[in-house]
Amino acid sequence: MINTRLLKNFDFLLLFLTLALAVYGLVMIYSATHVMGLADPFFYVKRQAMWLGAGMGGIILVSLIDYQNFSNWARYIYLIGLAMLGAVLILGEGTEVQRWIHLGFIDIQPSEYAKLVLIIILARVLSEREKHLGENFFAFLPTLLFTAVPMILVFMQPDLGTAMVFIVILFGLLYVAGVNWKYIMGIIGVGAAFAPFAWAQLAVYQQMRLLSFLNPELDPMQSGYQLMQSKTAIGSGGVIGKGLFDGTQVSLQYIPEQHTDFIFSVLGEELGIIGSAGLLLLFFLLIYRILWIGTQSKDTFGSLICCGVAIMIAFHVLVNVGMTMGIMPITGLPLPFISYGGNSLLVNFLAVGLVINVGIRRQKIQF
Amino acid sequence: MSKLMFKRLRILLIIMVCFFVVLGARLAYLQVYQHEYYMFRAEENRLTKMPIPASRGKVFDQQEKELISNRPGFGIFLVELEEDYDRETLKFLSEQLELDTEEIKRKIHENRYTRYRPVHLKNVDYETMAKIAEHQWKLQGVNIEVQPLRHYPFNEVGAHIMGFLSKAPPSDSSKEQWKNDGYDYRQGDLIGQGGLEKAWESTLRGEDGEQLIETNVLGQAINYLDRREPVPGDNLYLTLDIEMQRIAMESLENQIKKLQNDGNRYAQRGTAVVIDTQTGGILALASYPSYDPNTVKEDYKDLQKDPRHPMVNFALSGTYPIGSSYKMVTGAAALETGSISERTVYNCAGTYSAVGDTRSCLGVHGNLNIYRALAVSCNIFFYRAGLQTGIDNLAYYTREMGLGKQTGLQDITGEVSGVVASREYKEERHGERWYQAETMSAAIGQTFHRFTPLQLAVYTSIIANAGKHYRPFLVEKVETHEGEIIKEVEPEIVNHADFSQRTFRIIQEGMRQATAPERFAGREFRDFPIEIAGKTGTAQVARRGSGIPPHGVFVSYAPYDDPEIAVAVLLEHGESGASGSSPVAREIKDYYFREELGDNSGD
Repeated sequence: MINTRLLKNFDFLLLFLTLALAVYGLVMIYSATHVMGLADPFFYVKRQAMWLGAGMGGIILVSLIDYQNFSNWARYIYLIGLAMLGAVLILGEGTEVQRWIHLGFIDIQPSEYAKLVLIIILARVLSEREKHLGENFFAFLPTLLFTAVPMILVFMQPDLGTAMVFIVILFGLLYVAGVNWKYIMGIIGVGAAFAPFAWAQLAVYQQMRLLSFLNPELDPMQSGYQLMQSKTAIGSGGVIGKGLFDGTQVSLQYIPEQHTDFIFSVLGEELGIIGSAGLLLLFFLLIYRILWIGTQSKDTFGSLICCGVAIMIAFHVLVNVGMTMGIMPITGLPLPFISYGGNSLLVNFLAVGLVINVGIRRQKIQF
Repeated sequence: MSKLMFKRLRILLIIMVCFFVVLGARLAYLQVYQHEYYMFRAEENRLTKMPIPASRGKVFDQQEKELISNRPGFGIFLVELEEDYDRETLKFLSEQLELDTEEIKRKIHENRYTRYRPVHLKNVDYETMAKIAEHQWKLQGVNIEVQPLRHYPFNEVGAHIMGFLSKAPPSDSSKEQWKNDGYDYRQGDLIGQGGLEKAWESTLRGEDGEQLIETNVLGQAINYLDRREPVPGDNLYLTLDIEMQRIAMESLENQIKKLQNDGNRYAQRGTAVVIDTQTGGILALASYPSYDPNTVKEDYKDLQKDPRHPMVNFALSGTYPIGSSYKMVTGAAALETGSISERTVYNCAGTYSAVGDTRSCLGVHGNLNIYRALAVSCNIFFYRAGLQTGIDNLAYYTREMGLGKQTGLQDITGEVSGVVASREYKEERHGERWYQAETMSAAIGQTFHRFTPLQLAVYTSIIANAGKHYRPFLVEKVETHEGEIIKEVEPEIVNHADFSQRTFRIIQEGMRQATAPERFAGREFRDFPIEIAGKTGTAQVARRGSGIPPHGVFVSYAPYDDPEIAVAVLLEHGESGASGSSPVAREIKDYYFREELGDNSGD
């Protein structure tokens, strides 16, 4: 039951930052989509708001359950996650890109949830073996297997971006959990040796995207073109921007995927460096707050959950924003809370919910 | 939380801070440092300039009759195209416009990056337009626009002078010249081909306007911004008398048909040139057969296959031997060099032997002076006069008479210079030296002499006005579309022919006698109340007995005592100047002197 004791530790600042980002996102989604000539200019905004509502419900729901239960349920959660990823591949058999499970009124994107699932299982495994991570090379090896299985499933969709998120979460958590850094370097070395093999497994368009990032002239009409339009939007925004809903690149739809992957470009064009740097600041405050809660956690599992969530969000921001500005490859990772896409929004809300949960139950003894 | 974990968490935080700093620095670089550049790129994305074609200048004849005008044509366009197009519309248009659906799809596809620009499918006539308009309610994105269509009301008459429009790419030199005149050629522009349309391109075309459009990523127009109105092209007023041109064309056609009906299958082409002797203004410049500039696009292949080359303006580009019509040159040169005088008398006994060669005359003319020699066109008189004068003098005086060199016409292109028989020409062209016997042939217009019909008219005009070589011209006035005169052409003397007035008077009198009513050459003008001066020519083009008839030439001017017009008529294989060509000259003069002649000449 909820009592004031728990409510006292509820981190309203984190909730506020989360909602601020989500509302910021709604405004930008409206800006990016009302020019598309839809019958209902609020179509996308309404759908996203619906998911935001679900996210709020999710935060409350997750907060009610003691997070330590998630540690106990970690294996079942993990198996459900794998089952969903497997279902995507089976249901989507024959199509080029398999990413969603269609449930009639709603589309589920298991790879989004898999990120959170991975954080939970890794936090569980690492917190269990915390004592041995420093000197026993074999203590952390199971985490590699736990990561590899969903990664391969996601890779087969194929979704390169999410696979990269898994790797970053894995290494981030290994590091924070206290695995000897020499072991980590060794694993990275082995991984690098297998990189050419991994490259061969990439779809041609993914290879093209990476190459195009390294050399934009290679494919100017496709990826390079997208990138140029995105940079043009951001650069033309200047200091104060062209004004909300007044971006020409946006309203004339020169920006590719402007309500999803490239929504940061919309923001940059219309609100200038004030709006875009402001957004980065919001993200930083959010991440800082999550990490702070992690330091307050009563147990390692809670700390690692917080670190995992912070790493996940930070990596998304880095890759997505970097992509729109031409310093990261075009991977299709959404900008958390901002990009249109319900599954991503819900997962991020659930993640914040978990962190709040850790925060609520930070003290072992309550008076 | 363990100390190690806390330490590592701090390092993780520092790494994240670094990443955020990098992102922030990149933002500052793009949005502050490179802002101007990206602002320019965004504007370039957004704005497109669409040309608004200017209406082309008109052309009028000296009576201000419209020779080239613009009349409404109907352009069928497809607009506001989405990714997909309506099958029914496509099928209907394909049937009505007689275009392949694939062809229409290709045109749409070509336009995919510039969707603000309507796709032009075809220009149609009123009936087709009406049929499409009737069904427009069920067609998707079909627009009918009135488009000025270049119209040549006189069709074949004067086509070589007018030229036509097409999208054929121009030469680089033309492009450069237009650029200097302020017109920047773009691929696909309709431009003048031949005649005035080509030579006066930059005057006629006007200045295209421009519409600034805001376009989206699909190239669809979102907003219409600044607009600069087009400036219509300037109008040309010609010296040409289209009625005379029409009479000349019809008369040439009649003569050729008549010859063909009499079994002469060689008679296919003819030209007639009429020049105002007091200005050099061209009143008629006819070359038969011709083509219709209104339908030249459809007829082009047939025209190219026609062995008569109807698209070539033979009045400027054809070079011909002119036979006895040349004899005025020999006479004038002999007089001018003192080789003969007004009183010199030669005897014609039917044959003449000199310089190792024996030549014959068409008759036995007895004793004759220069007047009578011209009147009866005695070969022997001119053989002797020519030998006395020498080929070098003949060549010089030929050019002085305006023959074998460009006349100076600038208003349309295509003029060639022809050939003057000379020592130099023979050596250069055939690598052989000149024989004196050839001087005799040259003296009666044979051997290498090749002249254009326009030169013949200029030559006649020079004789008529005693030495003034006026530059022949067609355009006498240029006006803006608002009626402001921007150019008025004054007659220009390009050369004073190097002969004395006395020489001209002798030659003029000889020509008068040649066309006197009792003469063979004057037959056609027997009942003509105005005195004319002229000379026929029958130019051999093949060996006697080959069955190929000679060209018929007739040059003349009138009135004799106060010349106004010079007329040169040349019928290829027209058999003789008197029978083939002079009837054409007669019809032209009947028209020109219609007021003096009273009602009996009219229709």
